[in-house]
Amino acid sequence: MSLLKVEHAGIAFGGVRALSDVSLELNRGEILGLIGPNGAGKTTLFNLISGVLVPDRGQILFDDKQTAHLKPHERAQLGIARTFQNLQLWKTMTVLENCMTPQDALRGRNIVADALRLPGAVRAEHEARERGEGILHALDLLEHADELAGDLPVGLQRRVELARALCMRPRLLLLDEPASGLDATETEELAGLLRRIRDRFQVSILLVDHDMSLVMRACHFIYVLDFGEMISAGRPEQVRDDPKVIAAYLGDAEPAAAEREVTSKDKKSPAKPARRAGAAVTPEEVAAAGSTKRREALLEVHNLGAGYGGIQVIRDVKLTVGKGEVVACIGANGAGKTTTLRAISGVIRPTSGKVIFNGIDITRKPAEWIVGRGMLHVPQGRGLFPKLSVEETFRLAAYSGSSSDNYDAAFDAFPVLKERRAQLVGTLSGGQQQMVAMARALLVKPELLLVDEMSQGLAPLVVQQLFEHITLFKDQGIAVLLVEQFVDSALSVADRAYIFEQGTIVREADAAELRRDQAVIAGAYLGTAAEVDGVAAEAPVLHADLLDELTLKLPAEIKRALEERAIKEGKDKDELAMELLAGRIER
Amino acid sequence: MSSLATGRSAKLGAGLVALAIFAVVPSFFNNLSIRADAALAVIFALAILSVVILTGYVGQVSLCQGTFVGISAFATGWLFNSGMNYWIAAVIGVALAFLLGVLVGLPALRLRGILLAIVTVGVALSFDYYFFQDQAFAWFNGGFGGWSVDSATLFGVNFDSISPDGVLHSFWLLLAVFAITAILVVNIHDSGSGRRFRAIRDSELAAATMGVNLTRYKLLGFGLSAMVAGLAGAFYPLVVGRVSAQPFSFFYSLQFAGFAVLMGVRYVPAAALAGIFMSYVPELLINVGRWTGRDIKYDYFNVILGALLVVQIITAPDGVWGDIAKRIGHLQPKRRRVAQPDNVVTT
Repeated sequence: MSLLKVEHAGIAFGGVRALSDVSLELNRGEILGLIGPNGAGKTTLFNLISGVLVPDRGQILFDDKQTAHLKPHERAQLGIARTFQNLQLWKTMTVLENCMTPQDALRGRNIVADALRLPGAVRAEHEARERGEGILHALDLLEHADELAGDLPVGLQRRVELARALCMRPRLLLLDEPASGLDATETEELAGLLRRIRDRFQVSILLVDHDMSLVMRACHFIYVLDFGEMISAGRPEQVRDDPKVIAAYLGDAEPAAAEREVTSKDKKSPAKPARRAGAAVTPEEVAAAGSTKRREALLEVHNLGAGYGGIQVIRDVKLTVGKGEVVACIGANGAGKTTTLRAISGVIRPTSGKVIFNGIDITRKPAEWIVGRGMLHVPQGRGLFPKLSVEETFRLAAYSGSSSDNYDAAFDAFPVLKERRAQLVGTLSGGQQQMVAMARALLVKPELLLVDEMSQGLAPLVVQQLFEHITLFKDQGIAVLLVEQFVDSALSVADRAYIFEQGTIVREADAAELRRDQAVIAGAYLGTAAEVDGVAAEAPVLHADLLDELTLKLPAEIKRALEERAIKEGKDKDELAMELLAGRIER
Repeated sequence: MSSLATGRSAKLGAGLVALAIFAVVPSFFNNLSIRADAALAVIFALAILSVVILTGYVGQVSLCQGTFVGISAFATGWLFNSGMNYWIAAVIGVALAFLLGVLVGLPALRLRGILLAIVTVGVALSFDYYFFQDQAFAWFNGGFGGWSVDSATLFGVNFDSISPDGVLHSFWLLLAVFAITAILVVNIHDSGSGRRFRAIRDSELAAATMGVNLTRYKLLGFGLSAMVAGLAGAFYPLVVGRVSAQPFSFFYSLQFAGFAVLMGVRYVPAAALAGIFMSYVPELLINVGRWTGRDIKYDYFNVILGALLVVQIITAPDGVWGDIAKRIGHLQPKRRRVAQPDNVVTT
């Protein structure tokens, strides 16, 4: 019955478990969602299904057939098509050629016939062209058919990828983050489009996104991945209320998640006082936050807009950072936090709005000039030089900063680094690298520090320690603007926070207050969409009329409903179906 | 559809007219050197066409195209000197080049970019200094001085390297071979096979997941390219009268790649332009030296190529022909008319 079955799949990259014991089942005609925070392993799972990677253990069944020995192109021929998170169009080919190529590949046409333009080859060419044009027409792309795919704006390129995948006459469509770069209304439209595609092209869809709003709208059933493990599965509204899912997205104050990460007890003990210490400062934070209004503004951002290659990612962003203040930016992935930081620090050019720093208008000034004015940006991925030693890194920073040769301050703040002063930065652990990045920032002595995703790829315990160091900056009178996935940790050190949603700020709040109001955060990360959306209401109830179909073809929705009831009643689902059909139990 | 077809036949017509003009010009000069240079220009054009196929279409880097030319030339010279009919020997030479191409393509299944380039350099150097020169392979490379080929006949027409008429015949035959090859290559480019090649060039990952058999099409690309290079090699002994290692050295491979990039590595007409340039410009330089009484060496030709490459990469990254094609393309109006979408699935 099921089209795709992933059974206990696992894969490791050089000792790092990317996926362990992941199982998933997709029914025919279903739009299945797969969500999880960044680095959860979603794209890795996609690569296993489409054959780009081979699992170390477990198996993947497509149409009840083993796929382990099949190469990517053979799986494509079975009917598995996919799109890519980072677009993989054939950029120097036209949009129409992009749509014809998968059809050529599936026909296995002969190069000699092609070279001599034999009648068969010419006919195949016509057919591929016609079908390609038909699908482009259906996706409203026909007017771009003769343009080079690489010349189109990113939003259209995503649609071309979808068209190209549909040209393969797939039975299963794997969509990797199709909503990235889209705003709220476009995302809503996309959800509708996906359903129409499923109905018209008779495909099943597996949809990956870390932004839940699309998944909530489009999917009947959702799986949740975190740190390479399936932590939850269910209907959209069930998943949204699952504490484990909320913990995965919010970086948790939940002990369960901490246990998952930190297994040995001695490692766990220092973390606990740290968390208590975090809680203890709350009253001070409230006081600090209260004084914010009176603080002199260091950074003022007015109606900032920016994006990449013609796609507007953020718009109308307004925020201020006072002198010596710690401000956190939180929100789902793709909400525009990183882009905001980049636009402020001059890494990308804002398209509209103004950035005022220390009373000077720094909008559209070069990044290195802005650094000279006292604003330092620690980018996502830390921006370190892996081939320099710790000491060399500091010497470089001290040179470009205060021009003194004294970098003891860095070692005082991070004594761990002192033992490793001669070690190459690239060989340090992720947490130590982040310390180097922060120590370097300390040496430059900026007035404002922009820190992007400090905790990315780090275990929660390490993250907790790093956050304590944020207070170091505060003590020195350095203002910090933080972008963070681990919300709870970020809020424990911040004075104020801005919540980003769909490329703009939807709320400004006092950090301590926000910490108490988890519902608001959950909304920002898991999408408020599902509450107003019709998916929940539409979800079919197991109904007597529908049972007639059970004997013929079982629609996905009904199968899920059946499974749920089976779990609730503790019975085997096939058994239950037979009982229902026989009328032995109440419908 | 019809507009595309007319665009296609217009291009084809223009190309054939250009080749016809090039075909008659040398017949006005009863001069061995001018006619031999014309024939060499076509040989170079074929060699550069092989770069267009491999690098321009399939996106694989190779710095051993000269080796493919050489293996075919030596095989033809060897078999001819062992008493075989020249044309049969030539066909075997081309087939050998195809096989060597597929073999060299094997590492390309794992490597790409600079690493693949290094592997092909290794192939070029080992053939250059060992198989093409060493006495151990004298049975194949003809020992010191190589093989000599005096003449061959086909349907009563005489081809040789010493009489102006014999060279003119070779030139015409070569030109016909080039024209047919070029048409077939353009056909492949515009068809399903060509699209699969170009898909590999633009994104291997997407090509594989959209059903393109990477192994088959990469090897096919290498084989096809080596075969076209082999065509150049099979005619070489006839035009020059001798096969020795020097013309197939690694250095020539570099020049083929350099000229292909300079003229536009994605375009077939660029190969013709590059062939003419490569054949006539050194001759021109020597003549300039003769007239001005200065000592101008062949090395200056490489200086010119180097300087032009630097200028081209900056001003016309798609090559000389790519730049011209783009300018012509801008003059033409867009042809596609789009019907109002009626039953589209988008909102």
